[in-house]
Amino acid sequence: MNTLFAIATGVMFAIGVFQVLRRDLIKAAMGFNILFTAVNLLLLAVGAFNGTSAAYVDDANQIAGQPSDPLVQALLLTAVVISFGSYAVLLGFLAVTSRRFQTVDGDEMRRLSG
Amino acid sequence: MPNALLLGPVFIPLTASALTIVTAGNRSLQHLIAITSGVLAWLSAIGVLLANLSQGVQTYAIGGWQPPHGIVFVGDQLSSFFAVMATTVLLAGIIYILGCKDKSVSYPTFMPLFLAMSAGLSGALYTGDIFTLFVFIELMVISSVIMVAISDNRLGLEAAIKYLFISAMGTLFLLFGIGALYATFGTLNMADIARLLSSGERPLLAEAAAVMLACAFLLKSAVFPFHFWQPDFHTTAPTPLSAMLSSVVVKVGVYGLLRLVTLLFTSESGTIQTILIVLGVIGVFFGSLAALRTYDAKRLLAYSTFGQIGFILVGIGWGTPAALAAALVYTFNHALIKSSLLMLTGVVSSHTLGKTARISEIGGIGNKMVLTGGLYFIGGLALAGVPPLNGFISKLALAQSGVEANDWVTLGLIVGAGILTLIYMSRTWQHIFQRAPEEGVKAKPNGDSPLAPALLIAGCIFLGFYAQPLLDLATRTVTQIGNPQVYIQAVFGG
Repeated sequence: MNTLFAIATGVMFAIGVFQVLRRDLIKAAMGFNILFTAVNLLLLAVGAFNGTSAAYVDDANQIAGQPSDPLVQALLLTAVVISFGSYAVLLGFLAVTSRRFQTVDGDEMRRLSG
Repeated sequence: MPNALLLGPVFIPLTASALTIVTAGNRSLQHLIAITSGVLAWLSAIGVLLANLSQGVQTYAIGGWQPPHGIVFVGDQLSSFFAVMATTVLLAGIIYILGCKDKSVSYPTFMPLFLAMSAGLSGALYTGDIFTLFVFIELMVISSVIMVAISDNRLGLEAAIKYLFISAMGTLFLLFGIGALYATFGTLNMADIARLLSSGERPLLAEAAAVMLACAFLLKSAVFPFHFWQPDFHTTAPTPLSAMLSSVVVKVGVYGLLRLVTLLFTSESGTIQTILIVLGVIGVFFGSLAALRTYDAKRLLAYSTFGQIGFILVGIGWGTPAALAAALVYTFNHALIKSSLLMLTGVVSSHTLGKTARISEIGGIGNKMVLTGGLYFIGGLALAGVPPLNGFISKLALAQSGVEANDWVTLGLIVGAGILTLIYMSRTWQHIFQRAPEEGVKAKPNGDSPLAPALLIAGCIFLGFYAQPLLDLATRTVTQIGNPQVYIQAVFGG
């Protein structure tokens, strides 16, 4: 399972980096989201497979085996919320940009350089 | 020692942020809540520092969950020092907002965002849990990005998009580092990680985590290879925010680097510090030279921040107790000077018609503003390090520690580049305040109030004449962080 996750994280990271470097900022924003998903996958893979059974069960229904790590799942939830929030903010900015500057091309938005 | 006062600088602004959303319709009530929360946060930060001086490291386990399982706030000398600096400047920022005439500042969402940013800033300094550090840094970044996007300067949106992308890459580095550390040690508590790092052998993943965390913090403080977003972002921000960004928000990265070399990766600190010296010297030169040829008075100060952060990094890089103390003093003094100078530039540009700080349009605007001009003059001299101001004290302390560290090449380079500061500050001052304005250019009679920068400049002068307490405090801080066991034992004992 870990190998699969490692490969998946690597591939998603590659796609994400490629997308982020594109000129079209909307595609770049999608790359932004893919990159965050890759990191979230990594965080999940870090601890989720150390155990086999659910983390918190009441005493009556105890399942045999080592419980899996609940902390990574909590981290993941937080990271997902944060990345989703910043993705939403970014898309909002791009919506305003496309109206104000009439472009979402990263190369044409260089009024600040100099 | 458990101390609930630690929650003050974080949760008072956070609560006030929520309250100012509720009272969005009433601007004076919003201002009242904000200023009250600013003062309370400042007082509690000072309270934590004093408690720290008398009783040792203060901790607070949130919700009663003891470390290493629960999230713990740790107020050791380093956090308390930085938090006092941050809350002081943030309080001045809130005072500036009260007298600010910018359109973006009058939006009902500006104050909640500003308070959320200050909560994130203090939280990042106080937390003893590396994942909570990430959460607070993101809180700070997202709220400041939104404030830049709604700035009066229409290019703020472009800078905000740029920074959101770049800061996301920094966040990725940070998350990767956190993931790597958790995979290696199975804990997120900084004291616990430090304990395991200092006792056990060093897995490869832990070293990778050190690199990733260092990259994330270097990006946050805009050091040389990660610097390119900073001038745009700091120039286009609304004045009260750009004063915060350039003075205290970049210091979060400095704080992170200090934690990295003194608490977590103490045995790798030699390598990290060598890199920091090189990056610092590049920053000093690049910042000063770029500031000489820039077109915007606010941008000039943003470039100058590169240079000043460079001085601090060189201090951390030398790594002797005296050099670390000098870096801390430099950090504190730079925060006061840079925020006041940016606010003064904002005061001047609020008197222009287009609210711009472009040097071509701002020339001579300050001709009649005696108070603002005088304050800018003092601030410029302090930034350049002219006695008897506080900038001189920090440069002197750094130079002395350089002599002690016997690194004459670096010392010569940074002192030489430091002279450039005097050139660009005096040139800009003359241009804005000493010339007659060009034909047809008239200053508007109404502008921002110079009260907040006046208070900060008063602090600069005070710390110049009365520097010993700050130096002693920095020396005590360095003595405490010189021994990571103090931090570790305080977390697990309290």
